[in-house]
Amino acid sequence: MRNPWTRTGNYKTSYAQDTTIFATYSEQASLVVFLVGMLVLPRFLVRGDMQILDLILIYALAVLGLNIITGYAGLINIGHAAFMGVGAYTAALVAPHLPFWAVLPVSGLVAAMAGAVVGIPALRIKHLYLAIATLAFQLIFEWAVGHSPALEQGGAMAMPRVVFLGYKVGFKNHHYFWYYVTFVVLVLMAFAFRNLLRTRFGRSLVAVRDNDRAADAMGMDPGRTKVFAFALGAFYAGVAGALYAYWSRAVVIEDYSLMISIKFLAMAIVGGLGTLVGSFFGPAFLELLDINMETFSYAIKEIYNPPGVDVGSAIRPLAFGLAIVLFLIFEPRGLANWWRLLRSYFRNWPFKY
Amino acid sequence: MAQLSVENVTLSFGGINALNGVDVVVEPGELISIIGPNGAGKTSLLNCISGFYHPTKGRITFEGHDLTHASPHTITGYGIARAFQNIELFGGVSVLENLMLARHTYLKYSIGAASVYYGAARRREVENRRVVEDVIDFMELEPYRKALVGNLPYGVRKRVEVARALSLEPKLLLLDEPMAGMTLEEKEDMVRFILDILAERGTTVILIEHDLGVVMDISDRVYVLDFGMVIATGKPEDVAEDPAVIEAYVGGAG
Repeated sequence: MRNPWTRTGNYKTSYAQDTTIFATYSEQASLVVFLVGMLVLPRFLVRGDMQILDLILIYALAVLGLNIITGYAGLINIGHAAFMGVGAYTAALVAPHLPFWAVLPVSGLVAAMAGAVVGIPALRIKHLYLAIATLAFQLIFEWAVGHSPALEQGGAMAMPRVVFLGYKVGFKNHHYFWYYVTFVVLVLMAFAFRNLLRTRFGRSLVAVRDNDRAADAMGMDPGRTKVFAFALGAFYAGVAGALYAYWSRAVVIEDYSLMISIKFLAMAIVGGLGTLVGSFFGPAFLELLDINMETFSYAIKEIYNPPGVDVGSAIRPLAFGLAIVLFLIFEPRGLANWWRLLRSYFRNWPFKY
Repeated sequence: MAQLSVENVTLSFGGINALNGVDVVVEPGELISIIGPNGAGKTSLLNCISGFYHPTKGRITFEGHDLTHASPHTITGYGIARAFQNIELFGGVSVLENLMLARHTYLKYSIGAASVYYGAARRREVENRRVVEDVIDFMELEPYRKALVGNLPYGVRKRVEVARALSLEPKLLLLDEPMAGMTLEEKEDMVRFILDILAERGTTVILIEHDLGVVMDISDRVYVLDFGMVIATGKPEDVAEDPAVIEAYVGGAG
């Protein structure tokens, strides 16, 4: 007999059924529980925690975009923070004239255009050479912002305060408000991401990653697909940039520097390249590690503080680097692989086989 | 009128002529084999037809379309599919996904519909899944449907390669050594598949193959290439008797 709560067998009778993502009641229920949990979570957290939680969600959105470009299409992108920066600066420029819900897609679209332009070299070059082209974009972006008076030459550009349905977002509720906005945007865009990946758009990304000669023979234009990958990934980064701008109340060039691009790559790898859940695990793991190491470094300073060596401030980058190296050696498929193993264990649970 | 015509095609890499004034004419529904020693230019000719190389001189046409300078994906759109000699599958995804990838140009829906997986997107996916399932059934790949291609044994991957080309529903199928490195049993299976493709689907087939036994048994006509030139052409039994062919394969009398 069919038990709708677990996968006790294959009861699929149509191809449409075979494409469902949450097939059993338990899987559907766990999704609902997770979403509701995320909605009530702020009730149990203080403002300082909310700030970190917001940051993780915003980074998750950006890493989602990086996963499209690097994880699925296989195009190494060392300029992702610059795409995010394009979105943030667009937000800073248009926010005084538009409501925030319109600023987000506009920022995304402008970043997508930048992404498409950066993708153009992908028509001719591949692999490391393309990575260098994205690095060039990162540097050009930083230089251009640093030299344009309209963007305060990289200095702080304040974001206007948001009024939503007559409700003024102020100091007290700032992180709570942006948590819910980011959460809704993230869920919608993750949903779109998952769907795109099981249709022709996502498949073609994987095709150019695995074998672009064969992709060509299958009737796809590999060049156009790569430009599309950059544009779509940059769209995600652009929306994340606009959210980051609102969240941090100002746009500063340091938030979109090369270091942040590297951090995004690290998050994507630690989370698991080319996975949806990895885009959440990576930022969460590295940001929480960073916060904990900060606390830890104060403790270290108390115990051991030789003159001339700043042990405390060395701990954070050290932990970051160590985490990446350990993941590359022991779990190159990232945290998403642990998630996969956990899920496959519980798939038939409580039955043995 | 011929379905495919290759007229006086020359392909040069620097000073070397990989192909030298090659003429090939293919009629609809034929099984044409191209044979020749290693380095004769067989794969180069296939690469010219499928658009991976562009001839230095000469012209290639298919059903009124000029293929001479067209890109591979344009040529695929005209109805020419190809199975590669050195398996070029998408290793990171399943057999099913590999075949669905071949349906790319048939999956017509907007990015908006795709992002919510509703309406046209869902409908087209299911329609094309049905086509792909027919091919899976045809090529007897049912046990491997959801297996990662990278983990499959060589003989099965060769079959997936042909199945993927078939999923494009081509009018002309180019098979580059589909039986290379296979066991006798696998070869017999592949020959049966090729004959079925001709009989059931009416697809024209151009086959490159080293196994002369197979070639002589199943081909309608044979082209023999040597040093980039067609040295003989005609029915298998005539070609086998041709002195130029014998010389190319076993060497001259002195």
